[in-house]
Amino acid sequence: MKKNAFLAAGLLTFLLAACGSSEPEPVVEQIVVREPGEPAPGAVTPAVADEGSEAAGEVDLAALGEEAFQVCTGCHNADPGGPSMAGPNLHGVVGSKAGSKPDYPYSEALASSDITWDYASLDRFLANPAAFVEGTSMVAGAVRDGEERAAIVAYLASTSEGS
Amino acid sequence: MNDMSSDKKPGALTKWSRRGFIGAGVLAGGGLLIGVAVRPGNPIGALAPKVAAGEGEQLINSWVKIDLDNVVTAIVPHCEMGQGTHSVLGQMLADELDADWSKVRVEQGPTDGSYVVTDTARMFLAPFTQNSADWIEPTWNGLFTQILKLEGSLGLITGGSSSIRTTGQGQMRVAGAAARGMLVGAAADEWGVPASEIETRDSTLIHKASGKSATYAEFATAAAEQTMDQTPKLKDPSQYRLIGKSKPRTDIPSKVDGSAQFGIDAAPEGLELAYAASIRPPVPGRRVASMDASKAKEMNGVLQILNMGDFVAVVADSYWQAQQALNRVKVTWTEPESAILTTEDQYAAFTKALDEAGATGGKAAAGKGDVTAALGSAATTLEAEYKVPYLAHAPMEPINCTAYVKDGKCDVWTSTQVPLRVRAALSEGTGIAREDITVHHPFLGGSFGRRLEAVYAVMAARVAQATGYPVKSIWSREEDTQKALYRPADISRFKAGLDEGGALIAYDNVFTQRDEPAEASVPGIYSIPNTAVRVAEAEALLPFAAWRSVDHSQHGWFIESFIDEAAHAAGADPYEYRLAMLTDAPRHAAVLKKVAENSDWSAPLPQGRSKGIAIVESFGTIVAQVIEVDMSSGKPSIENVWAVCDAGFVVNPDGFKNQIEGGIVFGLTAAMYGQLDLVDGGVKQSNFHDYKMLRMDEAPDIMVEIINSGDVPTGGAGEPGLPPAAPALTNAIFAATGKRLRELPIAKQFA
Repeated sequence: MKKNAFLAAGLLTFLLAACGSSEPEPVVEQIVVREPGEPAPGAVTPAVADEGSEAAGEVDLAALGEEAFQVCTGCHNADPGGPSMAGPNLHGVVGSKAGSKPDYPYSEALASSDITWDYASLDRFLANPAAFVEGTSMVAGAVRDGEERAAIVAYLASTSEGS
Repeated sequence: MNDMSSDKKPGALTKWSRRGFIGAGVLAGGGLLIGVAVRPGNPIGALAPKVAAGEGEQLINSWVKIDLDNVVTAIVPHCEMGQGTHSVLGQMLADELDADWSKVRVEQGPTDGSYVVTDTARMFLAPFTQNSADWIEPTWNGLFTQILKLEGSLGLITGGSSSIRTTGQGQMRVAGAAARGMLVGAAADEWGVPASEIETRDSTLIHKASGKSATYAEFATAAAEQTMDQTPKLKDPSQYRLIGKSKPRTDIPSKVDGSAQFGIDAAPEGLELAYAASIRPPVPGRRVASMDASKAKEMNGVLQILNMGDFVAVVADSYWQAQQALNRVKVTWTEPESAILTTEDQYAAFTKALDEAGATGGKAAAGKGDVTAALGSAATTLEAEYKVPYLAHAPMEPINCTAYVKDGKCDVWTSTQVPLRVRAALSEGTGIAREDITVHHPFLGGSFGRRLEAVYAVMAARVAQATGYPVKSIWSREEDTQKALYRPADISRFKAGLDEGGALIAYDNVFTQRDEPAEASVPGIYSIPNTAVRVAEAEALLPFAAWRSVDHSQHGWFIESFIDEAAHAAGADPYEYRLAMLTDAPRHAAVLKKVAENSDWSAPLPQGRSKGIAIVESFGTIVAQVIEVDMSSGKPSIENVWAVCDAGFVVNPDGFKNQIEGGIVFGLTAAMYGQLDLVDGGVKQSNFHDYKMLRMDEAPDIMVEIINSGDVPTGGAGEPGLPPAAPALTNAIFAATGKRLRELPIAKQFA
């Protein structure tokens, strides 16, 4: 709200930190995928199902969803035991009660919503979070495209299986 | 014992001085201030191509150039991070120069060692010349030794609320006056009249007797040939035309129309940038144990994935792609070196050190009298323990640095408070000589102490060096919240003894973290006959950084909370109780009286509302605050803040008030919400959802009054508004509820 400010000099530590002289550190591992400007070698555009994993011509919705989910990863992680970030960890969210991750400070709206997440409720929530749960702190990240939503929910559901 | 006198004799450095100017800043043998403020003699030849390369521009002295349109440009060595220093330093120069403010521009000085902030560096180097209390000496002696090894990395620091009171007073005003003298001299020669008969006003030279007049531009070229007066006469306050007035800031137009360039906007001409995202270990010292990039290298836009040993970076066509791919890299870190893994561990380490120090142990930071005896003879004693968490700076502009390393040269574009420090660190990190490194530093989008270090710039340069092409590195908000440097957590224990009349006769305080300024933990403004301030050093897991007002941010709250407890134990009014102890501090007493008057301190309030008071001097400025809180909903609602400040003499009142208001809001944000927890050896919080800021609807009405007490060392503006805010608020909550808060932050205690 107010203007930024002048800052103090952390002089002592600042100086001590400045005194260590060392050789430049070598790079431990450098993976060069390509040079700038070069076209991507087989870069991933919407993933198509691996042949053989499904009947020919069918798509693996969960695999597509995993790619689509990448737009969510600025705020969410879906790995087992992964951290909650700006948004909660979503591993196994399908079938769980809303607001149930102990390490995440949910909005009161979501915590008291009494929702148990399933395909239908997640689809509605993702389409427009604030309309479905008024007062949710998820103010960004709505997924407008219905097919994309279905894929993301399928992917999230796949993380619930066997966990 | 040591001297804890609150007397501050006007220091030679901060007084309205002209000796910081020419050549005077070189430390004998230290090699610190290479290319001092303005080199002896007239350095135009060497500097002109760097700062006045444009057609028709004439450099008058190293700090002023005048172009053919009569536009005066002040060349300013400090960085602009929203605090207004560019404009106000320009204002100080322009006043002495008698320039037309509407035609004054400000330009950032180059980072090549030609421009250094002599007086600021000296404030840090030799602060005992400002306040020679001998208890500080050992600290400063150690510091001094360190500094001498450094060769100029302090040379362009912006920090310590110092720009106006050091560079402004010691360099910009002198430069303006010297330039005016040179213009007058040139006109006197040309017109054949005595220089003493020439008046100056609005960038114009006037000789009334002959009716001659000319713009500065007309004499700019001739002026550069004049001898520069090394010690020009500065104006008396009665002669000021700009100083002391709220002139509009020169950076307003560009910040309104969006053309202002911040570090993250860097788009160097002719360079196609790639973008890097990086991840560091939970705390410095741990390293990459393993990296699995198999998923990440299949992702869109990825150019390179680098295990740099102490961090992992992904370089891609865009920042988003780099961050997305980085999220898919599986990194493990080497085992923690510290046994401190959680918040509980951290406080247990503090408690253990405090317990071991006991009633008299630890290192003496300051003291006088005999506290043990006085506690023994006191009619009443009281004890309290306070606790504060780690805090992050959370500047709005993400941490970033654009770097290009090619043919043995390195260019970086970054927001920094310490461009020469960055240059020195880049040299160490890349093996490139300092003179082959150029640090371009546009505006900073906030900093608060965050950008006093160089790690992020070195990381960016190492990535750019490895790839061979220009890369803009941007830290995610999560990375900056969790992997930065921090205001330390701490526990502070107090004991007090009151005599039969309630007067504070013994004061004992012990805590574990002491950084700077050294006087922050000392209740030096109060007349307390027996005092002991001790440090029981304990490990802090997270690295330290100066955080707006540094040690004052926690010690202001500790001290002013405990003084309030003493007042309560004495059955006294907290304002009257403090005032009675300010017998040897007339400026402080005047500030406190004024804030009581402005806030109508003793007036009755509606049910649920109360006021709290606090006073802290920091960075040379005395600030007292009264805060009115409404507790009727059961949760604190901060209604009003009255602040009264004595900074000696304020150059731009609007800018000063703005800084005090900013300090108050920053302090209230931390007091209400600021908290970083440790989990698994790292920081738990990650972004603004769990590291909350005070919102507009929670911000109080703030009234700031300035007292110009005159001929005393000038005080700072950026930080001093902060320290009294937290204690004034918790003291108000106590007054309303009887609940004494001994832990921050506040909000969770009323959830």
